[in-house]
Amino acid sequence: MRVETKRMLRRLLRNPSAVLGFSLLIFFTLVAIFAPLICPPQSYDPYMIPIVTWDKTPQPPSEGHPFGIIDGRDIFYGVIWGTRTAFKVGLTVTLTSTLVGLVIGSIAGYFGGWFDEVLMRITDVFLSIPYILAAIVMTAFLGMGLDKVMISLIIFGWMGTARLIRANILQAREEQYVLAAKALGVSDFLVITKHILPNTIFPVLIQATMRIGSLVITAAALSFLGLGAPVGYADWGALLNFARNWLLGASGEALKYWYAIAYPGTAMVLFVLAWNLVGDALRDAFDPRLRG
Amino acid sequence: MLTYVVRRLLLLPLILFGLSLIVFGMIQSLGPDRLLAAYVNPGVLDKLTPVQLEKIKQKYGLNDPMMIRYIKWLKNTLQGDLGWSLVGKQPVKDAILNRLPWTVELALYSIVPVVFVGVWLGVIAAVNRDKFLDHFVRIFAVVGWSFPDFVFGLIVLMVFYSILGWFPPGNLSLWADQVIKSPEFRRFTSIVTIDALLNGRFDVFVDALRHLVAPILTLSWLWWAYLLRITRSSMLEVLTKEYIRTARAKGLAERVVINKHARRNAMIPVVTVGGGMVIQLFAGTVIVEMVFNRTGMGSFTATAATQLDYASIMASTLFYSLILVIGNLVIDILYAVVDPRVRLG
Amino acid sequence: MEKSPVLSVKNLKTYFYTEDGIVKAVDGVDFDVYQGETLGIVGESGCGKSVTALSILRILDEKGRIVEGQVLLDAVDLTKIDEQEMRKIRGKDIAIIFQEPMVALNPVFTVGEQIVEAIMLHQKVDEKAARVMAIDLLRKVGIPEPEKRIDQYPHELSGGMRQRAMIAMALSCKPKVLIADEPTTALDVTIQAQIMELMKELQREYGMAIMLITHDLGLIAENADRVVVMYAGKVVEYADVKTLFNDPKHPYTWGLLHAIPRLDIEQTRLYNIPGVVPDPLHFPAGCKFHPRCEFKEERCTREEPELINVGENHTVRCFFWQKVDEAKMRKVGEFM
Repeated sequence: MRVETKRMLRRLLRNPSAVLGFSLLIFFTLVAIFAPLICPPQSYDPYMIPIVTWDKTPQPPSEGHPFGIIDGRDIFYGVIWGTRTAFKVGLTVTLTSTLVGLVIGSIAGYFGGWFDEVLMRITDVFLSIPYILAAIVMTAFLGMGLDKVMISLIIFGWMGTARLIRANILQAREEQYVLAAKALGVSDFLVITKHILPNTIFPVLIQATMRIGSLVITAAALSFLGLGAPVGYADWGALLNFARNWLLGASGEALKYWYAIAYPGTAMVLFVLAWNLVGDALRDAFDPRLRG
Repeated sequence: MLTYVVRRLLLLPLILFGLSLIVFGMIQSLGPDRLLAAYVNPGVLDKLTPVQLEKIKQKYGLNDPMMIRYIKWLKNTLQGDLGWSLVGKQPVKDAILNRLPWTVELALYSIVPVVFVGVWLGVIAAVNRDKFLDHFVRIFAVVGWSFPDFVFGLIVLMVFYSILGWFPPGNLSLWADQVIKSPEFRRFTSIVTIDALLNGRFDVFVDALRHLVAPILTLSWLWWAYLLRITRSSMLEVLTKEYIRTARAKGLAERVVINKHARRNAMIPVVTVGGGMVIQLFAGTVIVEMVFNRTGMGSFTATAATQLDYASIMASTLFYSLILVIGNLVIDILYAVVDPRVRLG
Repeated sequence: MEKSPVLSVKNLKTYFYTEDGIVKAVDGVDFDVYQGETLGIVGESGCGKSVTALSILRILDEKGRIVEGQVLLDAVDLTKIDEQEMRKIRGKDIAIIFQEPMVALNPVFTVGEQIVEAIMLHQKVDEKAARVMAIDLLRKVGIPEPEKRIDQYPHELSGGMRQRAMIAMALSCKPKVLIADEPTTALDVTIQAQIMELMKELQREYGMAIMLITHDLGLIAENADRVVVMYAGKVVEYADVKTLFNDPKHPYTWGLLHAIPRLDIEQTRLYNIPGVVPDPLHFPAGCKFHPRCEFKEERCTREEPELINVGENHTVRCFFWQKVDEAKMRKVGEFM
C-alpha cells in the first residue's frame, strides 16, 4: 500500500492541473480560516455583510472597500466570508449525502434481491429529477434559509454515491476474501465495514470531490434566485443576485458595475475549478486507465 | 421493436399516476388554511365570510379525508382547474399556457449547439488524443464545467448587452411584443419564432432571435462541455475495440473507420446521456430565464418559489415531471434505435 | 519444389515506445509463406506472433513502429509503400481473421452490411451485386439460410457462425494470403474442427496461403505445412511440420512438445516448462530462453545465438541443439 500511495503522489505532482487545483484549494482554505482576521465581523452574526452606506447604488472599488460596494454592503467582506459559506455548504452536504448514499448503496449491493430492486428503483426515480428543480420545490416547502437549502441538496444528492458503492460491492461480494470472512462467521455488518468498504472507498472519494463543485454551483444558484441565504448574507450567489438587478436596469452603462460580477464570480469559478481539477487529478492518479 | 415501444408507452400512465400522488402528498402537507390561498385570489379571500370560506373548503375538499381529496384534486386538475397563480395574477392554467411556448422554444433551440458542438469537439478530442488539440479542448471543457451558468449568463449579459448592445434581455422588443399581441398575428404553434415566419413577419422573427442568442449561449454552455466529455471518453473506449481493428484490416480509410464504425458505437452512451441532458436543459431554463429576465416556465417557477405561490409551484412541478417522464421514454426509444442489441430485450 | 514465396518476411523488427520503456515485441523475424500452403506460427502469449501479423498489415497501435526489415508481397515491400497503397492491399491481397468474432465484428451493423462493405471497397460492383456475392459467400462457409442470416446482427449468431461470417468477409476478395490469428481459440472443440476443415477446403479451392497463428500445437500438427516457433520476439525454430514434431532441435520446442499430455505412455506427472515468459521490458541477457532451459550452459547467459541450419529447410537458434538430440535418443530408448 505504501508503494502504491507513493506512486500515486508522484503521479499527482507531475500533473500541472493537479498542482493548480490543489494550490487553489489551499488558498481558499487559508482564506476561509483567516476570514475573521481579514475582515473582522461587525455584528453578532459574522455572516451578515455589514452595511457600509445607505446609498443602494453600487460603488466601485475604493480605499477600504477593495471590491466595491453593492446594495450598501462591502463586496470584499462578502467574498471573503463567502468562502467560508462555500466550504460549509459544500463539505456538509457532500459528507452527509455521501454517508446516506453509502448506507443505501451498501444495503442494496450487499443484501441484493428484493432490497436491491426496491432501492434501485427509488434511486432511479430520484436520479431522474433535475437537481435544481428538486431543490427549488423542496425549499419552497421547507421554507427559506441556507440550512433548508442544504437539506434539499442532501435529499437529492446521495444517488451517485449509492450507485457507485453498490456496483463496487456487487463486485467485491464475490471476492475470495469476503467469502473467507463469511465462512469464518464474521457478521454482515463487519464484513461490509471492515472488508468491503475500505477497498471500495477510493472511487467514492473521487466522486464526492467532483460533486462538491456542482453542489456549490447549485447552492449558489438557489441563493442567486433568492431562495436560501437571507438578504445580506455572505454568499457568492446572493452577491451575484444583487449584481443582476443592477445590470438589467443599466443598459449601456453596465460596464461600470463590472466589479459586482467580477469578484464574486471569479471566486466562484476558481473554487469550483479547484475542486474539479483535484477530483480529476485524484482519478488520474488512482487509475490512469480511467483517464480516457 | 414495436413491442418495446408499446410496452414503454403503457408504463407512462402508471408513472404519471405515481408522480401525481407524490405531488399531491406534498401539497397536503401544507394544511387547509394555507392551501386556500392556492385556490382563490387572495384579494377576494379577505372579503369572504367564514361561511363562504367553508363552502370553498368543501369545493376543494380541504376538510375531507386524504383519498377523497386526492380524487377531487385529480378531477380538478384533469379538468384544467389548477388553482390561482399569485405570480401570474391569473388562473394557473392560463399562466402556464402563456409561458410554456417560450421555454419550449428556448430549450429546443439550445439542443442544437449543445449536440453539434459537444459531439463534434468530443470526436476531435478523442481522435487527437494527448496532442495539443485534445488538451486544449479538454481544458476548455473543464473550465466550462466549472463556470456556473448564471455567472456565465451575467457576463454574457454584460458584454453583449451592456457593452455591445447586440442581444438584449427579455423575450421581445416592445414593438415586436405589440405585433404578436395584435389581432392580425395568427398563432399557429404559439412559438414566436415559428409563428413569425408563418405570418410572414420576418422582422419579428429576427427580433425574437436577437433575444434568444444570449440565453441559448448561456444555457448550452454548461452542457456542451459535459457532452464533449462523454463523447470523448466513449469514443476513446470504442477506438480500442477489436472491430475497429477489423475495419482497418479490411482496408478502409481512417476517416471512414472513425466516422462510420467508431462513431455509431460511441454514440450509444452519448444518446442516453444526451436524453438526460435535454431534461436538464429544461431545468436550466429556470436560471437562464431569470438572468435574462425572460417570460417562461423557468422564471415562473423560480418566482413562484420565492413568493411561496403554492398553486404555481405545484403546477410547475407537474409540468417538469411530465417532461421528465416523456424525456426518459424518448431516451429509452432512442437507445433501442441506436443499439440493435437492446431491441430484442 | 523451389517456387518463390507469396509473402516473405525478412528481419522484421517492431518496437513499441511506451511510457515505461521500449518493448521489442518482434526483434528480427524471418519466414516465407508459399502459395497453397499453411505456415504455422506457434508460441506462448506475448511471444510476438500477433504483433507480427499486425505488422505485416501495418495496423499497429499508435505506439508501435516497424523499425527495420522487409515484408515482401510478390516482390513489393509493404513496409515502404504509402498508406493509400497499403489500404488497397488490406482486405484484398492479405486478409486477417481474429480470435474473438464477437468483438471483431461491429455490433451495430448487420453481418451483411459488413461483408458488402468489404466487397464494395475493393471490387467494382454495385450494392445489389455485392449483396448477392455476400449471400453466396455465407453459403460457401456453411451458414444455413444465408438470405436470412445476412440481415442479422452479430449478437444474433452463434460463436461458430460468427467465425464463419468473419471468414466469409475475409475471403470476399479472394486474398492471396489469409492470416488467421487464433481463429478457433474462443470456440468449442467440435466447432474448432469444423472451422479448420472449412479453412482447408477454401484453401484448396482458392489456392491461397494461410498463416496460422496459435499456441495450440495440436492445431499446428493437423493443419500446418511448415512451422515457425517464436519466443520473446524471435524465431527459435523453423522447420516443416513433420520434422518439427519428430525431430525438434530447440529446447523450447522440446519443452512444448513434452508438455502435451499423452494417453499412450505412462505419465506420473505432467511436464511443464519451468519459469514464465519474460517481461518484455526486462529481457534476460544472452539467450532469451536460458533461464528456463534444461540444457543451458554458461555461454547461454552471455551470448545470444544466431539462427543456424541444422537440416534441410530446418533452422534453430541455439548453441547446444545437439543436446536436444541426445535427450531425444534417451527418451526413445526409454520406451523400447
